[in-house]
Amino acid sequence: MVGNKKRKGSKTAVNIVLGIICFIWLLPTLGLFISSFRPAADILQTGWWKVFPHQEWRAGESIQLSKDVDLRQPIEVKGKTYTDDQLKAGVTVEGNRLMWENRRARTLNIQEQGWKTTPDLTLENYKNVLSGKEYKLKEADGSEKVQKGSGLSQAFWNTLTIAVPATVIPVLIASFAAYAFAWLRFPGRKTLFVTIIAMLVIPIQVALIPVLKDYTALGLNGSYLGIWLAHTAFGLPLVTYFMYNFISQLPKDLFESAFMDGASHFTIFSRLILPLSVPALASIGIFQFLWVWNDYLVSLIFIGSQPSVQVMSMKIADLVGSRGNDWHLLTSAAFISMLMPLAIFFLLQKYFVRGLMGGSIKG
Amino acid sequence: MKKSSTRKVTLPLVLCLSFAMMLSACGGNSNNGAASTDPPAKTNNQADNTQDSTNSGTDTTAGSPLDLAMKGEYKGTKVTVFGPFVDADQVKFENSIKEFEEKTGIDIQYEGSKEFEATINIRVDGGNAPDIADFPQPGLLAAIAKTGKVIDLTNVLDQEKMKTNYNKSWLDMSTMDGKDGQIMAGIWNRSNVKSLVWYPKQQFDEAGYKVPETWDEMMALTEQIAKDGDPAWTIGIESGAATGWAATDWVEDIMLRTTSPENYDKWVKGELPFTSPEVKHAVEVMSQIWMNKDYVYGGTKSIVTTAFGDAPKPMFDNPPKAWFHRQGNFITSFFPETAKVDVDYDWFYLPSIDPQYGKPVLVAGDIYAMFNDRPEVRAVMEFFTTGESVKSWVQSGGMIAPMNDASLDWYSSESDRRMAKLVQDASTLRFDGSDLMPGKVGAGTFWKGMTDYVSGTATLDQALEQIQSGWNN
Repeated sequence: MVGNKKRKGSKTAVNIVLGIICFIWLLPTLGLFISSFRPAADILQTGWWKVFPHQEWRAGESIQLSKDVDLRQPIEVKGKTYTDDQLKAGVTVEGNRLMWENRRARTLNIQEQGWKTTPDLTLENYKNVLSGKEYKLKEADGSEKVQKGSGLSQAFWNTLTIAVPATVIPVLIASFAAYAFAWLRFPGRKTLFVTIIAMLVIPIQVALIPVLKDYTALGLNGSYLGIWLAHTAFGLPLVTYFMYNFISQLPKDLFESAFMDGASHFTIFSRLILPLSVPALASIGIFQFLWVWNDYLVSLIFIGSQPSVQVMSMKIADLVGSRGNDWHLLTSAAFISMLMPLAIFFLLQKYFVRGLMGGSIKG
Repeated sequence: MKKSSTRKVTLPLVLCLSFAMMLSACGGNSNNGAASTDPPAKTNNQADNTQDSTNSGTDTTAGSPLDLAMKGEYKGTKVTVFGPFVDADQVKFENSIKEFEEKTGIDIQYEGSKEFEATINIRVDGGNAPDIADFPQPGLLAAIAKTGKVIDLTNVLDQEKMKTNYNKSWLDMSTMDGKDGQIMAGIWNRSNVKSLVWYPKQQFDEAGYKVPETWDEMMALTEQIAKDGDPAWTIGIESGAATGWAATDWVEDIMLRTTSPENYDKWVKGELPFTSPEVKHAVEVMSQIWMNKDYVYGGTKSIVTTAFGDAPKPMFDNPPKAWFHRQGNFITSFFPETAKVDVDYDWFYLPSIDPQYGKPVLVAGDIYAMFNDRPEVRAVMEFFTTGESVKSWVQSGGMIAPMNDASLDWYSSESDRRMAKLVQDASTLRFDGSDLMPGKVGAGTFWKGMTDYVSGTATLDQALEQIQSGWNN
C-alpha cells in the first residue's frame, strides 16, 4: 500500500519534470511560430508573448508645454518638476504615465493603462514565402512595376525528388550489405565491415573537393543523379551499421529452416529479412530522409542553386535577400519546410520507436 | 497470416523501387543534357590554358565578339554566371540582360548563392568554375587570380574601348597579380557609393537645419541637435559573423579625408601599419562622434548590438529619434517601404576634413571575372562592359554604373543621379579598403578589432595592435 503510493508519487514527480523539460524545449519553437504571424516591424519592437492579452499604456490626453522649455533644466508639468530622462522613460503619476509625445514640439502625453486583447497578426509572411515576394521595380518613366518572384513550390518538388531516392537507395543497398555481413560467410568479411564502420568518422567536408572534381569529369554536377549518389555514399556507413545491428539479431533458426526448404539467399532476404526488419527500415528511413531534407552543404556543392534544381533549404536562405533585409520571412519559411519531415515522422513514428529499440539490444 | 503480411510489405517496396527507377530515368536525362554541354566547355578551357599567351586577338579581326553575338552568331549557346546577389537583385539582373538574350540568342544562366564567398573557391578548385563569376570583394578574386585560373582579359577585350568607357581608377583596380605577371582579372559592372550620410529630409528642413558643407559644420550641427534633445547619429555595426564591417567603412572614409591617397593605398597593401599615427588619428576623429553618448542613438554601447540594417530605422520615426546615418547607397533597401526618396529622406556627402585632400569618395563594387574562354563568353563579358547591360537596373535604383557610357538620365531618382555625379566628379576614388585587404585582416581582425574597441573591451592602442596582428599570420 505504502510502496504503491510512493511509486505513484515519484511518477507524478517524473511527469512534472518531463513536462517542464518539454515546455522549455518547445518554448522557442512556439515563439518562432507566433513570430511567423507577426508583422516584421512588430517583431523588432516587442516580444512574441505580447500577442497574449496584456496591459499596456495607451495614449490619452496631450499637454502642450511652452516651446522654449529648456530640456536640460528640470521641467515643470502641472506643478511638479521632472527631468528630461524621466520623461523619456515615462513617469507614473497617480496610475497614469507621463511621457513625451513629441519632444521637439514639447508635447507630453498622459497615458492610461488598458488591456490589449486582440493581437495584430498577419498572414503576409506565409503569403510571401508560399507564392513568392512581390518586387517593386521602377520603370524608365518613373512608374512602378510589380513583378512577382517565385514561391517555394518548385523548390519543394525538387527537394522531394532528391530526398525520396536519396533515402530509398541507401536503405536498400545497406540492407543487402547488412544481410551479407550478418549471415553470409565470405573471406575478408570482418575487415570489410570494419572498413565501412571506420568510414563513419570521416567528415564529409574533406571529400567535397575530390568528389566535385570527379563529378566535373563525369558531368554529374547539378544533376539529380549526382546528388543521389552523393547522399547515398555519405549515408551508407551509418545505415549499414544500423541495419547490421538489427538483422544480425534476427533468430538464426528462421533462416535455417528456410534453407532446408531450398530457399536461396535472395528469397530469404526478400521474403524473410525485409518483412521482419520493417521497423528498422522505417526508423533509419526517417533518419536519412530528415538528413537529406534539411541538408544544405551537400546541395550547395553538388547541385547549386539553378531554379530548376534548387532545394528548399537554399531557396529559403535566398528569401532573405542579398543583404538579409527580409529576415522575418525565415520564421514562416522554417515552419513550411518543417511540415514534410513532421508528416513523415508522424506517419512512421510507431515503427520509429520500435526500430530504435530493435537496433539497440546488441550483446 | 504470414504470407499476407509479406505481401503488404512487398507492395509499397515495389512501388518505391519503381518510383526510384522512374526518377532515375528522368535524372539520367537531365544528366545527359549537362554532360553534352560540359565537355566542350572543358576542352575549351584547357585549350585556353595552353594557348592563352599565343592566341590572342585573332577573332577580334572579324569584329568584336559582341558584334558577332548581335548578328546571332552564337545563337543557342549557354553562358553560366555565378554571383552573390539573390532575390530582388536577381530579378533586376535578369531584367537587365533580357534584351541582350533575346537579341543574341545566348542563354545567360544566372545562379545566385548566399554562400558565394565560400562556394566559389570550392567550385574553382573542383574544376566546376562558372563561365563568369561576380565578385563583390576584389580581394577574393585577387586570391584566385594568383592561382592562374582566371582568364586574362587584356587580349580578350579591346583595351582602347575599355579606356574610354572606364575611369582610370576602375581599370587600375581590375589589374591584379596573375600566375605569371600582371593580368586584367575582371571588369567592373556595378558600383555603390559609401561616403553618404542619410538624413530625414522633410523633418530636417522643418527643424530648420542646414546640410553641412564641412566637417566642422557637421560637428556643430551634431552638437546643435544634441542641444535640441536628440542624438544626431544612429550607428549599428552588428551583422552576425561579420559584425564590425560597418565600422571599417567609417575608418576608410576618414582615412581618405585626413591623409593622402598614397598613404591609403599603402595602408590597404599592409605597408602602413594600423598602429601608425595616420590610422590612429582617423579612428580618433571617428571616436569624437562614436564615443560621445550624446551624439549616438542609444549611446555608444548600443552600436555593437544594433544590426546595421536596423540602424537607420529611428530616422523614420515621427519626430525622428536620430538624424544622420552614414552608410552606402544599398541601405535604402532597409528603409521603410513608405518612405520616399528625395522627399522623406536624402543624403549629403560626408564632408571633407582637410581641404588639401579634395573630395575623396569611397566606393565598392562588383567585378566580373571570366573562367572559361569561349567566343560566346567573350561576347557576354564585352556586353557587361557596356552601360546598356545595367540600364534597367540603374533605372530601378540601388546601384551606380561605373561605365562612362551610362547616362545620368537613366537614374530615376534625383538622389541616385547625384550619387553618380559624385562618383564622376570625385577628386579621389578609392575602393573599400577592407574588401581589398587579405581576408584575415579585411574580413577578420579589422572587424573584430573595431568591435572590441567600440564595445570597450579593448583600448584604441590594443585594438589597433590586434588588427595589425592579422597581417602577421
